[in-house]
Amino acid sequence: MKVQPDTMTDAAPPKLALHAVTQRFGETLALSPTDLSVRAGEFVSVVGPSGCGKSTMFNIIAGVLQPTGGRVLIDGRDVTGRAGEVGYMLQKDLLLPWRTVLDNIVLGALLKGKAGPKERAEGVALARRYGLGDFINHYPSALSGGMRQRAALMRTLAMHRDVLLLDEPFGALDSQTRFAMQQWLLSVWERERRTIVFVTHDIDEAVFLSDRVVVMSPRPGRIREVIEVPIPRPRPVSALTSPVFSTIKQRIIDLIYENSPALELAHV
Amino acid sequence: MSERYALLLKLLYPVVALVLVIAGWALAVDAFEIPRYVMPSPMDVANHIADDWPALVKGFGQTFMEFLLGFLAGAIAGFVFAVLMDASRPVRGILYPVLITSQAIPIVAISAALTIWLGFGLAPKLVIVALVVFFPVVVNVLDGLASVDKDILNLVRSMGASRFSIFRHVKLPATYTPLFSALKLSATFSVTGAVIAEWTASTSGGIGAYLLQANSRLNTAGTFAAIVFLALLGLVSFLLVIAAEYWLTPWRSGSKARRWSSSYWKD
Repeated sequence: MKVQPDTMTDAAPPKLALHAVTQRFGETLALSPTDLSVRAGEFVSVVGPSGCGKSTMFNIIAGVLQPTGGRVLIDGRDVTGRAGEVGYMLQKDLLLPWRTVLDNIVLGALLKGKAGPKERAEGVALARRYGLGDFINHYPSALSGGMRQRAALMRTLAMHRDVLLLDEPFGALDSQTRFAMQQWLLSVWERERRTIVFVTHDIDEAVFLSDRVVVMSPRPGRIREVIEVPIPRPRPVSALTSPVFSTIKQRIIDLIYENSPALELAHV
Repeated sequence: MSERYALLLKLLYPVVALVLVIAGWALAVDAFEIPRYVMPSPMDVANHIADDWPALVKGFGQTFMEFLLGFLAGAIAGFVFAVLMDASRPVRGILYPVLITSQAIPIVAISAALTIWLGFGLAPKLVIVALVVFFPVVVNVLDGLASVDKDILNLVRSMGASRFSIFRHVKLPATYTPLFSALKLSATFSVTGAVIAEWTASTSGGIGAYLLQANSRLNTAGTFAAIVFLALLGLVSFLLVIAAEYWLTPWRSGSKARRWSSSYWKD
């Protein structure tokens, strides 16, 4: 039997899939049964107000939190509650102050006692390719906030995981640095072809970066809607002010704030 | 050039301070005609040091040895205790009250008992010095171990690090900063500890014993010579800790790894 190429890709399991993933903390339903599937090489953002369950979902995918129900699959393999299956990065860069930038990049290998010349050369190549070539022997304290986040992302890349989970990685940066970092991230992603799940508060950031934006809402935490971003890549800065961008942004704002803005403010 | 000038100034200030103190001392002794048996002049003290040089140097060596061995023993024991207490909740629960109580007992009181148990030799001095260092090290290292960022621990666990690997690469280095603050604080105190131990009972000499002897003979020049050597000992011990800190925590004193270190990448 001859199988068409596109039928084959349809049949292949998604890179990352959540099946009815649920999380309860005592009485509260932090995340109601949630399904989501992400294609290989896709860039998906997750936005929503505090309490919408996006951090819970993040921790479950990262394998740090065992969900009350449901399954997490990578390439069809059940990885529920298993840490180390995805690379992840937080708003805090979590660089070890007593290690050089290079050692921090190859931390994964270092922790397993096998940061040999090969791994270190690869770390150096990463640093050079993505703009930290002059700082490989520096300690993190000598780096600016943006540079520290770049080092943290390289540490994540050097772990060789197909799926990268980024939780507000640029949340602590000033807006100029942040914008530069977003463009930098896109260039890294276009070159590395990894699958990225990006959690953020910033709607502009989500739309600018993503193929799809997952909008979540609280009480109980759930996915409200998944919105496609049909802006062609590479996206110029002018994409930020295009009509398509504004329409999508407006739609997301409506979804997030239609419930009751007053209630949201009360939680700030 | 200006950097070198700044360093020169930095070194010059303490020298100026020292000269001022000695000059003020010399002038005061002269101007107020203070009798020599009450307050010797700097020259008297210098002459005494020159006359009794071999005995003072020998005493210095003895007290320094007591300090060094006791200090290392106390620091290592404190470190090991802190690690054990961090690893096990019951161990911490049992040891903490014991440690606190032991700190409430004055060193002098323990010193007397130690003479009965351990005699007049080196052993009781080492124990006293070790006790002075032990407590601050335990408390600070314990703090350092407890203050490691939970997110870092989660991250390294997710990277597949073993318990030992986490200890070696994350927890252990996190203790260095608090460890060295404890060591710096207790460096000069442990010299005091050595002196107190020598006062209680000593057949092996040392600057503390020398001081006691000179004092009982109303030999003020000798007393001051001993004080000078004790000050020197305190300074040396402090500088040793600073040097060890500089050597072991390069990330705190510089922005780059040192060229000869194994983590320095050379093309």
